[in-house]
Amino acid sequence: MRYSRKLAGALYAAPVAVFVLVFFVAPLLLVGRMSASDWPLLAGDLGINMPDNYAGIADNPLFWPAVGFTLKYTGIVVVLLIGLSLLLALIVADRRKGTGFFRTAYFLPTTLGLASASLLFFGFYSPAIGPLDPLLEALGADPVSWLGTPTAALWSTVVLIVWKFAGFFMIILLVGLQSIPPDVYEAARLDGANRWQSFRHVTVPLLRPALGLVLILSVTGSLLAFDQFFILTKGGPDNSTVTVVQLIYREAFQRFDLGAAAAISVVVLAALVVINIGQLRALRKDHQ
Amino acid sequence: MSTKLWSTSYYVLAGGLAVLFLFPLIWTGYASVAPAGATNQQDGFGFGNYASLLDYDAGLGRYLWNSTYVSVLTVAFTLALSVLGGYAFARFTFRGKDTLFIVTLAILMVPYSTLLIPLYSMLGDLGLRNTLTGLALVLTLYQLPFAVFMMRISFEAVPKEIEESAMCDGAGTFGVLTRIMLFAVWPGLITVGLFSFLAAWNDFIAPLILVSEADKAVLPVAIANLRQQSMGAIDFGATQAGVVVMALPCLVLFALLQRHYVRGFMSGAIKG
Amino acid sequence: MSIDKRPSRALRAGAAVAAAALFAAACGDGRPNGGGGDEVVLEGVDDGTTLTMWTRAATEAQSQALVDAYNASHENQIELTVIPTDDYQTRVGTAAGNQELPDLFALDVVFAPNFTTAGAYLDITDRIDSLEFKDALAPSHLDVGTVDDRQYLVPHTLDLSVLFYNKDLYTQAGLDPEKPPTTLAEFAEQARAVDALGGDVSGTFFGGNCGGCFVFTWWPTLWAEGAEVMNEEGTESLLDSPEAQELYATYRGLVEDGVVAPGHNEETGATWVSLFPEGNIGVMPMPSTMLGLMPEDMNIGVAPIPGLTGGQSTFVGGDSIGISANSEHPNQAWDFLRWSLEEEQQVEILAANGDVMARTDLGDNEYYADNPNAVIVNDLVGVGRTPYSLHFGQTFNDPQGPWLPLVREAVYGDPNADLTALNEDVTASLSS
Repeated sequence: MRYSRKLAGALYAAPVAVFVLVFFVAPLLLVGRMSASDWPLLAGDLGINMPDNYAGIADNPLFWPAVGFTLKYTGIVVVLLIGLSLLLALIVADRRKGTGFFRTAYFLPTTLGLASASLLFFGFYSPAIGPLDPLLEALGADPVSWLGTPTAALWSTVVLIVWKFAGFFMIILLVGLQSIPPDVYEAARLDGANRWQSFRHVTVPLLRPALGLVLILSVTGSLLAFDQFFILTKGGPDNSTVTVVQLIYREAFQRFDLGAAAAISVVVLAALVVINIGQLRALRKDHQ
Repeated sequence: MSTKLWSTSYYVLAGGLAVLFLFPLIWTGYASVAPAGATNQQDGFGFGNYASLLDYDAGLGRYLWNSTYVSVLTVAFTLALSVLGGYAFARFTFRGKDTLFIVTLAILMVPYSTLLIPLYSMLGDLGLRNTLTGLALVLTLYQLPFAVFMMRISFEAVPKEIEESAMCDGAGTFGVLTRIMLFAVWPGLITVGLFSFLAAWNDFIAPLILVSEADKAVLPVAIANLRQQSMGAIDFGATQAGVVVMALPCLVLFALLQRHYVRGFMSGAIKG
Repeated sequence: MSIDKRPSRALRAGAAVAAAALFAAACGDGRPNGGGGDEVVLEGVDDGTTLTMWTRAATEAQSQALVDAYNASHENQIELTVIPTDDYQTRVGTAAGNQELPDLFALDVVFAPNFTTAGAYLDITDRIDSLEFKDALAPSHLDVGTVDDRQYLVPHTLDLSVLFYNKDLYTQAGLDPEKPPTTLAEFAEQARAVDALGGDVSGTFFGGNCGGCFVFTWWPTLWAEGAEVMNEEGTESLLDSPEAQELYATYRGLVEDGVVAPGHNEETGATWVSLFPEGNIGVMPMPSTMLGLMPEDMNIGVAPIPGLTGGQSTFVGGDSIGISANSEHPNQAWDFLRWSLEEEQQVEILAANGDVMARTDLGDNEYYADNPNAVIVNDLVGVGRTPYSLHFGQTFNDPQGPWLPLVREAVYGDPNADLTALNEDVTASLSS
């Protein structure tokens, strides 16, 4: 019985394992090889050049500022996104008048691709065609340069991302909320718990797996931020919003150096694997 | 707090947030029909931007078909893989379990622009380059981390007793999966299907790199072609009309599926 | 995939051609061999081959018109794939690294040197030499497609930077709508005069966070003045010259006086041309291809970009086109290129549509007779420039390149800043 259950588990996992091996691990090995090679985009493999591509990362004056900016951006986005999506999920979790409308409203931005959403906000913030300046003018306020200063550019991008992804995470949390049996709340109510206490001591602990998924997706997604800055700010003003993935893109498709791009990718992957294993461990430990 | 006060503040908060979430989209819808320079709607309100989208190159119908085909295929692949995988991760122990889970999650951690070039060579070796099936496989790859994780926590949340009672009735693990567990993880299943559809529907870079024949182009690529003018300039009319056209099918899909996200909707089904 | 496999690939292709030739000879079939290999047919071959071609979205209209006309009149058939402009390099670069390029592909001229020197294009020097109108081809496009005296590219579509000015606003501001600026100082003066109208009207606009926009719209002023932006090899930057400093200072003055429409500081290039057609900008340099996108009822004037004290020039942008090195049908592909440059197509397809022609000898045609703005643009092709550098894109177009910090410091930074160090950064990138 025990043995056959192990075999059954391996069999259920086999399709994923094969798929991941063929479509992910094999290409990833090629990325590893690129990172150790002189590999111009247009010419292909010119042979091993270890450790040039890795040594080059440290020489790139944009690298450390990009790491710093990416971490700062990630911190802000993760906190705001998880807080807001939890609030949204709680707002629309129960059957109440109007929740169908609210659920759809919060979810709508999720239906857009990130590139379309970024372009939409580019227009939205634009003094040329956007609605914000006329609106401010009508209210008697001065126009704001939404992308013109480093601080404004950062926060304007954060607003876009929170707007775009809050509905996505709201849905994940809703699924988590649904899996909490109603009798648990009933028991808490009978124990005399108020709304806050039952949220704090029933909802949050039982929502932990879903919150864990949201945390891992938002941390990883933010650390790999690219499209939103590429479209909204192009890394500006004055290189103040350059992210790590923008450097990878620049090496590959502006400087045509796949080797250098692959080396940064490998470093980023290693860092992310460590961060995520840490997060998974922490979640599991809390759980026990 | 009195019920009335609670109810009022609930609606003020929920409504205020709804306005904030909808405002950029309402502006887009408005701007897509409003007159603007350097677009296809220059004089008065009208559907000039939509007309140019309708007639573009192979025609909107072809792009809609290609996008639908790729998205549906991606949803099918993703659901099949993640249901089996999620069940394995949630309910079984087997060798290499933790490693496989981390490696699957690691798909999320490699930037698109790096992995696509090896994938491009590899699809060529497999004879899948320039095919919509090959494209759907790559899009499935990027959905797997979320899908497998989501299905794993969905299966984990199902009380073990339900499964055990079925086992006692003599059902095998596969029977339990198809006859009981699939209904118990229904919201997770809907979510994985919905999000893999949205991701495949909106993805732009993978079809751009992996498919080069004009009649296999998908909607986001066609819209990107339509909006880009010379010297980096953007035709915002085409952009806004494109956003609306891309979003409408997703909106309908969500409207059809959203009743599955109400708390307590599933509890009856599990108990019954 | 690796470059050292290329000879064997060529060898195999050669062997295949030899075998095919032998086979043809044995069967007594005297048809000329059209497929690949060494045999060059200067006039091209039209034998019903299907060719693939890529172009970027920005120049789709012209490419599509040419391809449709060619397919309608030839046995060969071309399948055109249009690729989003911003992602064209990504797409073409990926294909080039895998030797999967289409038979024909067009390319933004400033990126041409990367692809010609990497061996992505076929050497077509002899074919170009065989054209009787060779000397009339847009000279700057030919120069950029030349490496070590071998030519790889012919001009495909042209997009020039020219001044657009709003004649109605000029009249309202008391300016003569038939007298566009002839020096940079006059440009600034006229912009200020229009700006003085107040309200929503601004004097001018530019993409202040867009390296490519600065290059395209500001450099012609330097060339018109006789100054250079780089040395001939494209390895040394001269962008801190006294002429350049005066150019920056003039625009800086316009910024300080609020003559530039709001949003210039953060404009990354996506909306920089959408303001002028709204009718609230006096005068600004823009791409000539925008002419066809202007509202019909708008009263627009077009003029060459002037130098500091006179003269005129333009940035000859647009696309060049060539045959890919991995094409198996170079003679058929050349048939299309040769045909597309002939007088009939240039006049009946490009000029008829108001586009700039790839040749300088056909300006006297019936379509341009009713289109004075097109004549002004077409006449600039001969005097305009296309800068050459192997590291052009990563230095000037890339927002993380060193050019944007230089020009932004000069326009928005400390007015007394020394630009020497920033210019050295540009040189370092060009010569890396």
